[in-house]
Amino acid sequence: MYTLVHAVIGYFFLLLMVRVLARRPGAQMTPFEFVLVFLVGGVIILATVGDDRSMTNCYGGVIIICMMHHLMGKLKQKSEWWGRMIDGTPILLVKDDEWQTTSVNMTRVDDMDVMAAARAKGIKRLDQIKYAVLERNGAISIIKKDRNSS
Amino acid sequence: MTKTAPVTDSVKKVNNEFAVGDDLEFQKSWQKFERGVWILLTIFILLSLAGVFGRGPLAQGHIQASDGSLRVDYERVQRFGTPSVLTIHFPPDVIHQGTVQLWASDTLVKPLGTQRVVPQPMKSVIGGGGILYSFPATTVPASIEFQTQPAALGFSDLIVRVPGKAEVKTRIFVVP
Repeated sequence: MYTLVHAVIGYFFLLLMVRVLARRPGAQMTPFEFVLVFLVGGVIILATVGDDRSMTNCYGGVIIICMMHHLMGKLKQKSEWWGRMIDGTPILLVKDDEWQTTSVNMTRVDDMDVMAAARAKGIKRLDQIKYAVLERNGAISIIKKDRNSS
Repeated sequence: MTKTAPVTDSVKKVNNEFAVGDDLEFQKSWQKFERGVWILLTIFILLSLAGVFGRGPLAQGHIQASDGSLRVDYERVQRFGTPSVLTIHFPPDVIHQGTVQLWASDTLVKPLGTQRVVPQPMKSVIGGGGILYSFPATTVPASIEFQTQPAALGFSDLIVRVPGKAEVKTRIFVVP
């Protein structure tokens, strides 16, 4: 019983923590950020299962977390407002040769992050980018300038 | 039959050509909310360091009976399922014939979850909403340690006394 309640609280707590951590490009995690994910998960699991490490308790915790995630997915689909609260909105980082500094500062993304995404698209220089967007899933989408516009 | 719906141009565009769906105003509002959350998180950490949620200087409690018959060192704020120690010190005049007696309300056992008493009592008698312990005491000053592990959340009133002497009453708060 406690585990189920703790799992629900833990789910929302982690959701809040991840959301307020400011959006970094999640698809381009540094090794440390990757370790951080496991560290946070490892700490929260201690409070979730407590000293009851039985299969019933642990599987119950996993099931309730999956159910919560399924429910959140449904809510996001039904409500645009909820979707924004949970995932935010895409954020425009570069537009027509200009950094959108308000957005860039908000997201703590830097030119290296954008260039890493650009290289994956075969783009060699920042000035070849027409649009760069930090997506809701943490990936950076790059739109290359048309040949005739560059 | 498979349900279908027409594709509409519902995502907000940039430069009237690039469908992004961004919303800078929402992001600005969210950033304000983020700042508020960070302030609350900082306050939480500072309060934690101070011991407001247990395990810190502010959580340490010391209380003495009005007639000086015992003194209790304990944690005012304890954490659910987390070991804590409550120590009771006795002055020489309450030790008679190598024995000291202590009556403790049963909240020490049930909500506060006593796991171990050091030294082991020679005798424990249940009654009157508490337990009367008799301990061997050959040295002075003497002290007894109750190792607890709270099993219930919220406030618990704890009363301890040496029989026939002034009682000590305190309240312990157990946080999740």
